[in-house]
Formats: sequence, structure tokens, C-alpha cells
Amino acid sequence: MGFFIETLIGGLMAGMLYSLVALGFVLIFKASGVFNFAQGAMVLFAALAMARFSGWANAALGGDSLFLANVIAFMGAGIVMWIVAWVIERLVLRNLVNQEGATLLMATLGITYVLEGIGQTLFGSEIYSIDVGMPKDPVIMFESLFEGGILINKEDFIAALIAAILVAVLTLFFQKTPIGRALRAVADDHQAALSIGIPLNRIWVIVWCVAGVVALVAGIIWGSKLGVQFSLATVAMRALPVVILGGLTSVPGAIVGGLIIGVGEKLSEVYLGPMVGGGIEIWFAYMLALVFLLFRPQGLFGEKIIDRV
Amino acid sequence: MIYRENGQFKTTYQADQQIFTIAQDKIFVLAVIAFAFIGIPFLVDEYLFRAILIPFLILALAALGVNLLVGYCGQITLGAGAFMAIGAYAAYNFFIRIDGMPLIAAILLGGLSSAGMGILFGVPSLRVRGLYLAVATLAAQFFCDWAFLRIKWFTNDSSSGSVSVSNLNVFGWSIETPIQKYLFCLCFLVAFALVAKNLTRAIIGRQWMAIRDMDVAAEVIGIRPMYAKLSAFAVSSFFVGVAGALWGFVHLGSWEPAAFSVDRSFQLLFMVIIGGLGSILGSFFGAAFIVVLPIFLNQFLPALGSLFGIAISTAAVSHAELIIFGSLIVFFLIVEPHGLARLWSIAKEKLRLWPFPH
Amino acid sequence: MSKKIGDVILDLQSISLRFGGVKALTDISFDVREHEVRAIIGPNGAGKSSMLNVINGVYHPQDGKILFRGQERKKMEPHMAAVQGISRTFQNIALFKGMSVLDNIMTGRTLKMKSNLLMQALWIGPARNEELAHRRKVEEVIDFLEIQHIRKTPVGRLPYGLQKRVDLGRALAMEPQILLLDEPMAGMNVEEKQDMCRFILDVNDQFGTTIVLIEHDMGVVMDISDRVVVLDYGKKIGDGVPDEVRANPDVIKAYLGAGH
Repeated sequence: MGFFIETLIGGLMAGMLYSLVALGFVLIFKASGVFNFAQGAMVLFAALAMARFSGWANAALGGDSLFLANVIAFMGAGIVMWIVAWVIERLVLRNLVNQEGATLLMATLGITYVLEGIGQTLFGSEIYSIDVGMPKDPVIMFESLFEGGILINKEDFIAALIAAILVAVLTLFFQKTPIGRALRAVADDHQAALSIGIPLNRIWVIVWCVAGVVALVAGIIWGSKLGVQFSLATVAMRALPVVILGGLTSVPGAIVGGLIIGVGEKLSEVYLGPMVGGGIEIWFAYMLALVFLLFRPQGLFGEKIIDRV
Repeated sequence: MIYRENGQFKTTYQADQQIFTIAQDKIFVLAVIAFAFIGIPFLVDEYLFRAILIPFLILALAALGVNLLVGYCGQITLGAGAFMAIGAYAAYNFFIRIDGMPLIAAILLGGLSSAGMGILFGVPSLRVRGLYLAVATLAAQFFCDWAFLRIKWFTNDSSSGSVSVSNLNVFGWSIETPIQKYLFCLCFLVAFALVAKNLTRAIIGRQWMAIRDMDVAAEVIGIRPMYAKLSAFAVSSFFVGVAGALWGFVHLGSWEPAAFSVDRSFQLLFMVIIGGLGSILGSFFGAAFIVVLPIFLNQFLPALGSLFGIAISTAAVSHAELIIFGSLIVFFLIVEPHGLARLWSIAKEKLRLWPFPH
Repeated sequence: MSKKIGDVILDLQSISLRFGGVKALTDISFDVREHEVRAIIGPNGAGKSSMLNVINGVYHPQDGKILFRGQERKKMEPHMAAVQGISRTFQNIALFKGMSVLDNIMTGRTLKMKSNLLMQALWIGPARNEELAHRRKVEEVIDFLEIQHIRKTPVGRLPYGLQKRVDLGRALAMEPQILLLDEPMAGMNVEEKQDMCRFILDVNDQFGTTIVLIEHDMGVVMDISDRVVVLDYGKKIGDGVPDEVRANPDVIKAYLGAGH
């Protein structure tokens, strides 16, 4: 029982991290109708920027204050992501307004290649580490409840906490601020939003920028866990089932979807994996999402599609 | 001046429903095919066959299949690589497990296996649409990546995980040299392109396009979405599977699952989108573009560097390749979202009026 | 003009349709007789299009029965309605935009074409002959609607009025027994309306096709229809020949407001 709950909690925490990447997808899809395959590349790009800036700042400060170096690096990486958002809007989105979904999807794949290329050219292509002072040692809890207690990875726990806070902040931002209202208006209907004077282009920059910051946070957490390397770009592939399971347009969907996929993956890996030779967690997540979709084609929280003729 | 349909009157519906209704088009295409069969083998060296022409032929065949599904039936797929893998591995198993299995039969059986799996993985399309479906097709991709890596039966228990075939021959003619391989693939491509053209101008093609353009209306006039969608998945997977078998047997000779990774799927989708969705010709343009571009960049960038006296490292070249490749794709999508095939038809329109545009 | 109006071909009995909590149709019954022109009218949002969608199986009513030629039909899909011989046109033209006029109308023949996939792939014998035979049929429709000059044009490039005509052509190519027309004249100018009226009456006369149409132009409705049913807020408020309906106080109220 203790082991089951341990797996479950591990899955939930891994799921929060998927949610974080999925959130970037959802934000951009809501506001610009673009299914942003480049989200993974953005995570890599942001993490690379963060890792290198932090290293340089630390060296410049003489290694005295890791915290200060990290703050500087975070701001630097944030600015980089803002520039990325601005360039993408200028050079790509603005020129592809009203194109079909498939075309936009392909364009973001193009952006993926460009970001991967530029990121590695600017920041190098070795493995870097991000040290934001996350505790690495696991703790054992609930010893009184279960025999042997439950092993919880502190790092995962903090990461999940940060993800939860970020989600809460974004929800507030969307619901309570004027910019959030404009964002929701754009998401509903581009033309109508444009006609009442919402500057579409600026909104897109903001959304991509927010998605960039989300990518940055995801990059820091994943990067400090696994090291910043090229394979970070593939977390997008891990997050895709989350997005379709939760619904492309739903922020809560990204969270719930992430938790379901996280738990499903961990459980399948532990209980089902050994039977078929292991390594099943990637396709299992997709199959899980697919089964959900067969019952709810628009995802758990997506808007229901009514055919009108 | 030269390219005119003036004076070419159609007196029967049959004449009006030919593949090429304009005589010049027909002559041009026949000439290209004749040149590909007779001219090219005398003109081209081995490197070009191996590096460009053979990959081009096979990937064009795969792109054709993807285009039937994505361009004609409107079902976006990100899992085409998986069906290449199924084609390749199924053909491999037919080839080595059954004594005396002829090469062509093995390849076609590989295609049929892929078609069967295509139907299975096409079932979600009956419920799930658009981008949701696109992501769902990745399930096929990752499942196949896993299956061909972990299930040893498929690879005939080979210890390294890679499989290989040798001594290929058709009716006693061996397929060893690049020229023979090239001609072998060319025959497949021409035959399949003709089939694709026939399908798209027949009832089934119209059903696919109807589903693509307006599925509710299609259903109302009596098209069964299940039949139309699943047949598109089956036919498309058949094409892609055959291409996969050719890729493994003829181009690579020995291969691992990584040869058919998700990158291959994206590459195929790039081909049809850059070439032109819903255009047979576009699949060829797209395949040519995507095959040639990386090779060109690979040769061109170091040459450019040395021109300015800069030695560019291999890593830098590969990064620059990524950047340029990505930018060019975005550029093409912006300039001509309907693909190279649209540019071609615009050129033909211009040519009709040339040299008197008014 | 002596028109042979026949027996009841389509009988709708207390149809109710809800979307979640929204009642689109409430307890509606009416029938359609063979060879007649039956109009459905009503203000915006009265449930007219929903009614058509129920008839050809796009929506499934929660309550009520539909009898087609005396046979009750179970829950069915739109293509089954097509098999039974019910075809329709759409309010917001639902043509296949990427295809030519000819191909669009050819899709209307889908149900009547039988050749299998392999024959089509090789374009041999039966498949080719079938294609040509149906092409001939489609050309008749094209001649009937006077759209010969645009047969190879992609429909996306056509002006609105012509698109409506192609939409009708596609429905006619099915050789339907019942033709449902959803606002066939919406957004047209007087001349185009006259053309469209002529086509509708010709279809009715020449082929004996039963027609159910939704239309807002009262002049047109009163002129060409044999019987009219009036809906308001998903309820039936009037039914009968045009003159009866015109005199019905409920109908006058729905159209002109309570004050009159």
C-alpha cells in the first residue's frame, strides 16, 4: 500500500511538471489558434539561456552570491524570451494570419528548428547544469501510517509547488486583469476583438511572452532535475498527450490532464512495464489520452463542438 | 505560344476526363518519365543516385501516400513514419520467414500490413478531429518505435536490434548497383503515382475531398464518413508502407527503428505542405525540396565559409543547417501557403498567355 | 394547373429536440404529402433549420416519431436519410470549396456508384464506364440549372448566387424523393430569386419531387408553396394552405408583435 501511494504521489508530482509544459501550449492555442510545437524548443532555449547567464553572472560576481546570480540570470532569460516572442510575432505570426491549422503547425515546427539551431549556436551544445538551490535529498514521511513510510523527493515536491503557484497566478492574470480580459476576447474571436480596438499583435506578443516565461520556469525545473541538454526539447512530446487529454483551450484541463497522465505513466511503468519489457511510458500516455478522446473528442475540458448546418 | 489548349476540342466525356486534358501536358509528362528511365542512368554518377535520386524516389512515394490522407481527405497525421516502419518490418518478416518469397510480393505485403494497421489507427478519426487527431496519430508513432525496438520477434531476434536484407533480385535480375536500385524504385513510383491519380479523380477521391471540405454536408448527401476516412487511412498507409519497405530493403539495406522516427514523420508532412496539399505533383516537388536542401546546405555552407576564410566547424554547420532549414520552411509557408504546386500552376497560367499577356 | 398531390410521404409526430437545457423544438407534428411544395416559416430562431436537421438525421430528437412512407425510422445517421432519398441544400452553403462545380455535383451521385476501390485505382472497365454514365447524368443537371459555363471552376471562386445554384444541383444529382431546401433564396437579388423559384417549381413539376422549404420572403412562400407550417420559439403555431396561414391571428402576432 505504501509503495502504491508512493508511486501515486510520484506520478502526481511528475504530472505537475507536464502540466507546466502543457500550459504553454494551451496559452498560445487559446490566444492565437496556433498549435505551438515549438514549446519544447522554447523550454530548451530558455533553460540554455538561464544556465549560461547564471554561470556567467556567478563568475562575474566572484561566486559570492548564487542567489543574486540566479535572479540576474532569470531576468536575463526572461528578456531573451520576450525578444523571442517579439521576433516570432513580427516575422512569423503576423504573416500567417488566417492560415489553416496545419500550415501554422508546420510553421511552428520550422520555428522549432530555428530555435534549436540558434540556441545551440549562442549558448553552446554541451550539457549544463542549473543550480537554483533545490534540495536534492528525499525525505520519508507518514512513517506512522505505513510500514517503512513514503519516500518523497523534495525536489519534485517543490517543483510541483512552484507549478501550482504559477498556475494560480496565471489564472488570476487571465480572470482579473484588463490584459487577461483582452486575451480572452482575442481567444473567442479575433475579428471581433480587433473591431473593438484590442491590438491583436501586441496581445500575441504578450501571450507568447507569457508562454516563454512558463517555458523558462519549466526549463529551470526540468533543467535542474536532468541537466540542460538537447533532449529537453523532447519534453514537448511528453506534454502533448496532456494537452489533448485536457482540451486544447482549457487551463484547468492542462493541470488535470497533466496529473492524469503523470499518474497513469508512473503506474503503468511500475505495474505494467515489467510484463512487456519496459519503456512503455511514452506511448502509454498517448494511448491513455486516445482512450479518453474516444469518449470526449474535445478533451476533458475543451469546448464541445456542435455541428451547425 | 507553345502551351495552348486552343483547338483541342473534347467531343466525348471520356476525352474530357483524361488525366491530362491538354496535349502539351501529356507530352511533357511522358517525356519526363522517358528521360527518367532512359536518360538519367547515362548521365548521373553513383553518388547522386545514392544520396539524392533514390531517397527522392522513395520519399516521394511516401509523400504521395501522406498527401492522399492529409491533402485529399483532410486528416492530419504526424505518424507517417510509423507506417513506413510497419511496411519495412512486415516486408522483412515476410521476406525472411517464407522461403522463396519474391521481393516484389514481400514489399507489397509489407504495404498491405501497413494498410491494415492504418485502418486500426484510423479508427479514432471517426470521433476525433483536427489537431486532436494529429496528436493522437503520434500514438501510432511512439507505439511502433517501441514495438520494433522491444519486441524481438519483429527483428527475428537479432541481437543488435538492427535487421538487414541482401541478395535482392526480381525475376532473376539482381538489384545491387545504384542504377538498378534507381530503376526499381522508379517503376514503383510511376505505377503508384498513376494509381494515386486514378483514385483522386474517381468516386473515392471525391468522397475524400468532400469529407475534407465539409464533413457534415458530405454525410448528408450519402457519403459514409467511416468508409471514406478509413479507406483514406488504408490507401495512404499502403503507399507509405511500400515506401518504407523500399527504404529499408533498397536504400538502407540494413536498418533500425530510428530510421523511421518521429522526425521522419515530420519530414513527410513538410514535404506535402511545402509541395502542396491535395496535389500529386506537389508531393514530388516537396520531396525534391526536402531531400535536396540539407545536402545542398551541407555542401554549400563550408564552401561559403572558406570563401571568407572562416573554417566552420561541423557542429556550427549542423546548427546553421537547422536554422536555415527552419527559416526556409517558415518563409515558404508565408510566401506560398498552398505550396510549390500552386507556383507551378500559376506559371502554367502565365505560359498560356505568353507572349501576349493581353 | 392540376398538380397530383399524393399520399402522406413523411409524417412527423410530436417531435421534441433539446440541446442541454435549450428547447429547440417542442412537440411539433406535421406531415408532407407526395409531390407537394411544403414551406416552413417562422421568425429567426424559431427552429426551422433544426426541423430540417431532424428530418435528415443530423440531429436526433429526444421525443417523437418520424414515419417515412409509413415506416417508422429508428435513430439514424444522415447518410441513411440520403439512402432513403432525402437530400437537402444548406442555409450557409455547404459546398466542397476545394472542388470544381462538376466534382461537387458528381458527389451527389456517390450512392448510385458501385465500382470497388481496386477498379477505381486501375481505372479499368466498369469503374470508367460508370464514371462516364454518371457524368452524363450530371451534365443533365448542369444543363437544367444553366451552369454549363462554370462546370470546371472551383466553387470557392463563384459568386454567392451561383454557389446556391450549385448547392441545389448537388442535391438534385441524388435524384431525391424529398428535397429539403434551407433558405434557398436568402441574400439573393430579385432576379436571382426569380431564377431560383423557377428552378424549384420546375423540379417539382418535371420530376415530381416533393419539396420542403424554409424561406423568409413571404411573397415567394405564398406564391410557390402548397401548404405552409409556421413555427415560433420551437412550437407550431399555424399550419395550412397559404391563405389560411395568412389569416391566422397567432401567425400575425408572431410576425408583427402583440400590439397589432
